[in-house]
Amino acid sequence: MLIAATPDNEAARLAALYDLLLLDTPAEERFDRIVAFAATEFDVPIVTITLIDTDRQWFKARTGTELCETGRDISLCSHAILEQDILVVNDTLLDARFADNPLVTGMPHIRFYAGAPLTMPSRLSLGTLCLIDRKPRTLDAMELGILRTLRDLVVLELRNISEVADA
Amino acid sequence: MPDATKHILLVEPEPMLRRTVAMTARSLNLGQVHEAATSAAALRLLSVRTFQGAVIAVDCVGSGKDSRYDLGLIDRLRADAAANKQGLSIAIMTETATPELLSDLRERRISRVILKPFRARVVLDTIETMCRSGKT
Repeated sequence: MLIAATPDNEAARLAALYDLLLLDTPAEERFDRIVAFAATEFDVPIVTITLIDTDRQWFKARTGTELCETGRDISLCSHAILEQDILVVNDTLLDARFADNPLVTGMPHIRFYAGAPLTMPSRLSLGTLCLIDRKPRTLDAMELGILRTLRDLVVLELRNISEVADA
Repeated sequence: MPDATKHILLVEPEPMLRRTVAMTARSLNLGQVHEAATSAAALRLLSVRTFQGAVIAVDCVGSGKDSRYDLGLIDRLRADAAANKQGLSIAIMTETATPELLSDLRERRISRVILKPFRARVVLDTIETMCRSGKT
């Protein structure tokens, strides 16, 4: 298993994340409706809005999993926030980075992963909107476009929080 | 130089679906999707521009024997297209397709009926087909 590198802008990234005052807050309908929409649209069992904290990934919104957080060291989303665009892993068992990851070999048995980084205008990626399936699959150009749009809707909500905080 | 962008009217009350379709169509350069949540909002858009295609949610209004599908916006679109001598593809989204509704839709030359529930992908595929067809 490959543990994701720490982003070069980690200190600023964490500062931006903490400024949102979003970690460990209750579920909110504005985020829940996006993950519910994504689960239906892509017909996947698990969708999360994941925020990457210092040593954990925490789910602001989730459907299909009872987990509310896991360690950052086993987080696939920690890899996704290093990307400019969506990280797609069609089959985790065929990817050396993830084949022996506990989230792949054990519950929730991730076989397919697509994580769209939640990149703010500051270029800091605070987390992901991610799709998970228990079987291998692919996304075509239209599906990737839809996932980017849903990611953009999450980022808009995060920007709204940020702008209210700055006002 | 004429504007080659295809303008599509999307009339859908559910904001999440509407925003997702419009934003994705824009990002994939499928066409310029103009959003309206209601028929009234759509009529306002019609007063300022012409469209090459439309995807319209059609709901049943009224109750009991007086219930009927509101096709007024479709009739207005067809009239505008005829006045402007333009081809116009129209698709509708609806809960159920009764024989009466299908008959009414055939009269109005509706190109596609999308039954709920459906994915945003289906609407985007429909818009892509409209934009690629040579009906403009």
